[in-house]
Amino acid sequence: MAHIPDGVLSMPVLAAGIAVSVAGCAYGLKRLHPDRIPQVGMLSAVFFVASLVHFPVGPSSVHLILNGLTGVALGWAAFPAILVALLLQAVLFGFGGLVVLGVNIMNMAVPAVLCGLAFRRVRRAFPGDTRVAVAAAGAAGAGGVLLTGLAVAASLALSGREFLTAAHLVVLTHLPVLVIEGAFTAAAVGLVLRVKPAVLDDPAPHSDEDEGEGAP
Amino acid sequence: MTPHHTAVVLAAALSLTAAPALAHKLKVFAAADGAEVSGYAYFSGGDRAQGAALTVTGPDGTVLFTGATAADGTFRFTAARRVDHTLTVDGGDGHQAQATLPAADLPPGLPGGEGNEASAAPAPAAVFTPAPAPSAEMQAMIEAAVARQVRPLREQLDAYQDQVRWHDVAGGIGTIIGLAGLAFGLTRGRGRRS
Repeated sequence: MAHIPDGVLSMPVLAAGIAVSVAGCAYGLKRLHPDRIPQVGMLSAVFFVASLVHFPVGPSSVHLILNGLTGVALGWAAFPAILVALLLQAVLFGFGGLVVLGVNIMNMAVPAVLCGLAFRRVRRAFPGDTRVAVAAAGAAGAGGVLLTGLAVAASLALSGREFLTAAHLVVLTHLPVLVIEGAFTAAAVGLVLRVKPAVLDDPAPHSDEDEGEGAP
Repeated sequence: MTPHHTAVVLAAALSLTAAPALAHKLKVFAAADGAEVSGYAYFSGGDRAQGAALTVTGPDGTVLFTGATAADGTFRFTAARRVDHTLTVDGGDGHQAQATLPAADLPPGLPGGEGNEASAAPAPAAVFTPAPAPSAEMQAMIEAAVARQVRPLREQLDAYQDQVRWHDVAGGIGTIIGLAGLAFGLTRGRGRRS
């Protein structure tokens, strides 16, 4: 579901998706510190592969999205990471169309960034509390899927479909994904916090505007 | 708690790699047996799409048939005209797929495109056969038998087109690593120059 194919959405929705995606990617790249590029590439690869893990749910079929994890780990840089991964998914696997790529990026990257920012805020409010951070990561992982489902339903509704029917279908079928991703994101963040917590600190906790404290 | 977490991550990672790597995309397959058109809608992993809305349109956009797929994803209808049938299956959640059944797959006996029977009925095969022309029933039987035998092949081809192949996965990951490396190199170069 998360990957909408070509020929389903209306023109205004497509244009809005492209505009939001271009703006988000530009901002994400502008804020991206060069030292973080390997991390962005790695999460982009994880996001790319996650879509291959799928399971049948009721009448439909769903797969992992992992945009919550991408947002928690990358913040605004989730935009370029998701753009690259979605482009490759569309070209290599035929997941989603090329014309709707903008909308698909918007539907997955905006929730990722929102969840990432919320996670950062919670972490700053409770510095050093690993348990709270892990719980917040779980909520971010689940929230990413939920918001993506709602965004897909909204895209369909704005193109003339029944919002409630679409939202019902999309969100209900994604409940298992939501649970799995929440647990997975919490476990991954818990591991990172014990092994190398600095990875998650990036947009420096002391100043939100300027994350780079001078290139090495 | 510490080894616990690692175990959870490991288990999750293992379950991910153990799951079948399958694509996720709605597809529709249709084949004609005489005037009877049957097929099914499925996700490219092989799971059938139940209760998906089916709309069949002609080349001029007229709706020829509407219905929904059954619990096993199948559908069936009878073609009334010998024209290209475009089948659109819509899962309602943003999944949509299309397939076209060419007019040539339908029996020549059906009326053609604009309801103009004169333009259809290309039956020149009988002219070249030195033996007495096979009867209409015979022809129908042969067509039905061939269609039945060819169908599994066509299904297999259709499904094969959609299989995610591991070299696609490897290629995608390689592309991402290459892009990241390129971005890294470019930003480094700029930093040194300025």
